[in-house]
Amino acid sequence: MTGPYAVEMPVINVTDQARREPSGSWRTLLAFGVTLRHLAANLLKGDSPTISYPEERRPYSERFRGTHILTVRDDGSLKCVACYMCATVCPAECIYIDAGEHPNPEIEKFPTRFDIDMLRCIYCGFCVDACPEEAIVMSREHHQTAADRSETIYSIEKLMERPGIDSNGIGYRPNTPFLEASLYSRSKQTCDIPSDAEERHPSVLYESMFRRRS
Amino acid sequence: MPRITLNGDVYESEPGQTIIQVADDVGVSIPRYCYHPDIGVEGSCRMCLVEAEGVPKLMPACATPIRDGLIVRSDTERVKEAVRYAMEFLLLHHPIDCPVCDQSGECWLQDYYMEYAGHLSRFPLGQKRRRRKAFDIGPTVKLDQERCILCTRCVRFTENVTRTGEIQVFGRGHTGRIGVFEDRPLDNPYSINVVDVCPVGALTSTDFRFKVRAWFLQGTPSVCGGCSTGCNLRLDHSSRPQGGGIPGYSAREGTIYRTVGRRNEAVNKSWLCDEGRLSFHALEKWPRRTEARTGSETVTVERAIEQIHSRFREIRQQHGESAVAGLGSATSTNEALYLLRRYFGGHTDFRIDRETTLYREQEDDLLRRADKHPNTQGALDLGLDGPLGGLAGLVDAAERGRIRAVWVAFHPQLVGQDDPAVFERLTRLLSAVDFSVVATTHAFHWTDKAAAVLPMAAWSEESGTYTNYAGRVQLAVRAVAPPGAARPLHELMSLMLGRSGETTPSEPAGIFALLGRELPAYSGLDYDMIGSAGCVPERVEETQEVIR
Repeated sequence: MTGPYAVEMPVINVTDQARREPSGSWRTLLAFGVTLRHLAANLLKGDSPTISYPEERRPYSERFRGTHILTVRDDGSLKCVACYMCATVCPAECIYIDAGEHPNPEIEKFPTRFDIDMLRCIYCGFCVDACPEEAIVMSREHHQTAADRSETIYSIEKLMERPGIDSNGIGYRPNTPFLEASLYSRSKQTCDIPSDAEERHPSVLYESMFRRRS
Repeated sequence: MPRITLNGDVYESEPGQTIIQVADDVGVSIPRYCYHPDIGVEGSCRMCLVEAEGVPKLMPACATPIRDGLIVRSDTERVKEAVRYAMEFLLLHHPIDCPVCDQSGECWLQDYYMEYAGHLSRFPLGQKRRRRKAFDIGPTVKLDQERCILCTRCVRFTENVTRTGEIQVFGRGHTGRIGVFEDRPLDNPYSINVVDVCPVGALTSTDFRFKVRAWFLQGTPSVCGGCSTGCNLRLDHSSRPQGGGIPGYSAREGTIYRTVGRRNEAVNKSWLCDEGRLSFHALEKWPRRTEARTGSETVTVERAIEQIHSRFREIRQQHGESAVAGLGSATSTNEALYLLRRYFGGHTDFRIDRETTLYREQEDDLLRRADKHPNTQGALDLGLDGPLGGLAGLVDAAERGRIRAVWVAFHPQLVGQDDPAVFERLTRLLSAVDFSVVATTHAFHWTDKAAAVLPMAAWSEESGTYTNYAGRVQLAVRAVAPPGAARPLHELMSLMLGRSGETTPSEPAGIFALLGRELPAYSGLDYDMIGSAGCVPERVEETQEVIR
């Protein structure tokens, strides 16, 4: 049997196929049985895959990276010096910075505008590694709901809010263990990654960075 | 001709040259901070030390004159070690604030550190010498004393080139620093050149500061459109998009951020005047014209050209060939003016002001000239100073009814202001004729009077040649795209000629080849010959012989 094609192609007749398959109402009951089995398991054993989401949350991977945070100095001003390292390294080209002249010549430069297009961002964390001032870090927050696309472009104000940082800690930083190891064990030339998760997410170490704006 | 051996290769050289000059000529790289070909020799940075045979100590290449048979090596272990130590001393008190430093990315300290040093600092961080940071030493330049390596290039620039001597070295030895006197700020008309010569981030331009990082910029060789000197410069404009889809970015893709002097010994050495350097800002003074208009309706450029040409043809048939005239200006390229002349025949002029009397007149003894148009000599070479008598003559002829239709190609002066009388005359011209076309870069009010308006690309948005006051033909390469539907004047004229049945190339190189065939003064020239340094055709001598 050939269809309306230039070359010979087999045509699958769906009706034929359906006719060949065994039918009857007992099959419907069989399928319903599967549902009942799961219902019973949920009710009696309580191993339901469903959770009541905003109240209950699933544990995320240790290596999760979420919304960016712009950190602040002790006086509450932005740490960022608008060096454009993050914008340079960003593979998604989602960071936009405008620099201005800081009144304090010791600081000299600061961002008058710092936007991240969250829809373009691929959450690779390169910006965090590139930052020479620990001014941008990532949180473990993944809630980025918005009613409008323009809301997904985060400005300085929004990036300085630290969603869930106190409860969740900061996002994964693959290079930080190397940094820590080289900084704190000068004698040890090889930098091995600490194995336990506590050390890998040293939110305690960075506590001063996340001091709230006064 | 002394012959010297440099790293094993024998080179011919001019008598009186120094080792570093020979090395620069033949392309052997010797590191240096204090030496600059247009400022002269200081010999203080000790970066250019080389090993000369028969001399027990290492010699500074910038201050050692060559002699016949000199054998020099710049690649030995001894030289490398000396340069490494020199770098360590230069970086001893350096604040390493590269993240906020405007020079980073094009800093000679960074480059030479990566190439020659690579050491770890042996100096305790907390004991580094602190100095005054980021303060104005004039209206255009900021100084950071901490980053300075005391190469004294800026000091020698103000001493030897501008002869104003604002910048001085204060203190000696460890306390030595660059500065200006309180009552004598750096305010000479060539002040921003010190930013160009500064190899580190000590001197930064107030205009360019923090606008963009150097590695986002792409340089395009061009020629200043500010006056008839035609200084060579490099336009630095954005090269790659960043910020993705964030609003406000896309407009910046074709932005010029700064201009830097391009070395041309025959024209401007390495220098630019401040007016010319910042002249690209002049294009931002008014809103740009981005679409074509005929009557009151907005049309495509092609449609407008079609209508304009048929109207011109009608008027020519009715009132004779001489009733239609074209007015270019000395801000247009040779290519554009040539095609303009070709379309309008002998009824073409370019004089809107006093260019022809001023174009050789100097404003000071360095670079600036009184005629603020870059291509007056080129327009004269094309013979556009014909019987029409410039803008004033055109207005007169139009008001007497001898000229019925006119094409005006207007580009504002980049330096200074156009004379208000020019606008007044243009308005009179437009209202006197039956049909007027204005090809303009900006949406000026006086263009509302024109029957048709075409958007024209401005300087830096078109490639082409300019002929400076001395007759040097120089090539400016298009750096950024014109806004909206704007087209370069040579393209508009090529379209007009296409309508009248003449096929001409639309790209500048082709037009220039055509021009070279027709104009004996430019014959045999092409873009390859002009190159980056420009070229003086032998026309000047020729004409003198004819006169004799």
